[in-house]
Amino acid sequence: MSVIELTNVNKSFGVDTSKIDVLQNINFSAQKGEVSLIVGPSGSGKSTFLTIAGGLQTPSSGQVVVESETMSQLSPKDRDALRLRKIGFILQAYNLVPYLTVAEQFQFVDRIKTQHNLSTSDLNALLQDLDIANLVKKYPSELSGGQMQRVAIARALYPDPEIILADEPTAALDSERVAVVGQLFQDLARQRDKALVVVTHDMRLEKYADHIYEILDGRMKQAS
Amino acid sequence: MFLALKEIKHEKLRYGLIIGMVLLISYLVYILSGLAFGLAQQNTQGVESWGAERIVLDKDANTSLQQSLLTKSQTDKLTLSKNESYVGQSSVVAKGAKARNISAQFIGLDTKQYIAQDMKLTSGHQVNGANQVVVDSQFQQDGYKLGDTLKFNSKTQAYTIVGFTENAKLNIAPIIYGNLSTWRTLKNLPDSFTASGIVSKNAKYTSGIAQLKSYDVHTFIQALPGYSAQNTTFTLMIGFLMVISIVVIAVFLYILTIQKLPNYAVLRAQGVPAKTLVQNTISQALLLVSGGLVLAIALTALTASVLPMGVPIGFNLPLLAVITVGIILTGILGAIIPVRLILKVDPVSVIG
Repeated sequence: MSVIELTNVNKSFGVDTSKIDVLQNINFSAQKGEVSLIVGPSGSGKSTFLTIAGGLQTPSSGQVVVESETMSQLSPKDRDALRLRKIGFILQAYNLVPYLTVAEQFQFVDRIKTQHNLSTSDLNALLQDLDIANLVKKYPSELSGGQMQRVAIARALYPDPEIILADEPTAALDSERVAVVGQLFQDLARQRDKALVVVTHDMRLEKYADHIYEILDGRMKQAS
Repeated sequence: MFLALKEIKHEKLRYGLIIGMVLLISYLVYILSGLAFGLAQQNTQGVESWGAERIVLDKDANTSLQQSLLTKSQTDKLTLSKNESYVGQSSVVAKGAKARNISAQFIGLDTKQYIAQDMKLTSGHQVNGANQVVVDSQFQQDGYKLGDTLKFNSKTQAYTIVGFTENAKLNIAPIIYGNLSTWRTLKNLPDSFTASGIVSKNAKYTSGIAQLKSYDVHTFIQALPGYSAQNTTFTLMIGFLMVISIVVIAVFLYILTIQKLPNYAVLRAQGVPAKTLVQNTISQALLLVSGGLVLAIALTALTASVLPMGVPIGFNLPLLAVITVGIILTGILGAIIPVRLILKVDPVSVIG
């Protein structure tokens, strides 16, 4: 079942001669239990695709449906609420609050989304899987890039979202960590029935994906 | 509040500096308002201690007790009730044998009338004979004791201090209470003059004599030499300080908010409502301003306790409460200015 579906989505910036078509006629759907990899060179429109899929931007035309809710019909406040409930973002720039310790990052989530977050035992298991259980008292500035990225992944997974949208989640990780994260993504899809959409340059994640799409010059095609 | 507290705890130096800045501004406002209140009190304490509601003066005296003279022919037509009292004012330099000279206000009273009768003394007794005076407790602080004698201006007559009273100040000078005949002597006036004016506790009192005019006590106080100018100056200084504090707090919060925008963009992308981030900014401003205020109040209390007695500082709780609320509102206003930035933050900016 599709939990996120983009139909005939176009996105352009500027007007007349300065108009740039960033996304053209994109049709995409992601299912629960699957990992979808979106690859493509820099500037191809991958990030724009991700922001439109996550409801951060509206398309110039076309429709985005997330869990049966049409994004264009939601108010900005309702889109915020939908993202909070249903979508977890893993960002290249890390999604950590610099003045909160690792443990407090999760406490902050508890304050804005009071229900249906991971249980303490599930969170501890996740931290163990990501090898960051011993870092809970540390601030982001005390972590390496790889550690920060793994904490950011745990932070995005903590609200137990249905859909996980990841922007270059393994950019700062070595091959061993990439394997851990790739396997974690696959387990989340298979065992917890999540839909994962991963925008990346990193072809080391290829073997964990169920579908691979390529975006080139704003057009998407299924690679495998 | 969670984010606000955690951030302050983590960025101790940065937020300590802001609290320090609020502390200094608030401290200055408290001290200035204390001085303004203290000076105002020292202008009017005497009049307030009389419980005066109306003052009757010569209509050509420009609302000045010092300049007013009531003649015997005028006062003979009057019958004063127990709510009225004659008052004669004269500026004097009081000279003692040992202690330093003091510029003072001599107030001559009829010892049978209410001001003299109702006067509360901290020690000694009322004036009940010739050449006796009751003086403000400032004389005690300056080394004078009961039984010491004073001479006024270049006069040779000595007057014995028979009592001390508190809160007896007029025009920022201590009051020396004596009788009306001493007042006439000091002013070189014949017996055909009774007093400078009539003080009444009756808010509707008028003399009924055409040459005399009855003023309400507020008008009389406002006309005291330098009183309005002094209060206006302090009010302007405090007002400017409040405006400066708005600007400074707003600028600091604006800069801090700009620094946090990438972070807020990430939180917005994750679905954290803008309202949560706005509440965080405002609660943080409240915490910073409250912290600064608590420290400023403590520092002001400490300062007031070590200031020399001669510094006219006074604190009035309702006034302090109004200033405190004013500074808190100022802080909130300063925090609202960068809210626009938070509401406009673009979560897309953190992706790609």
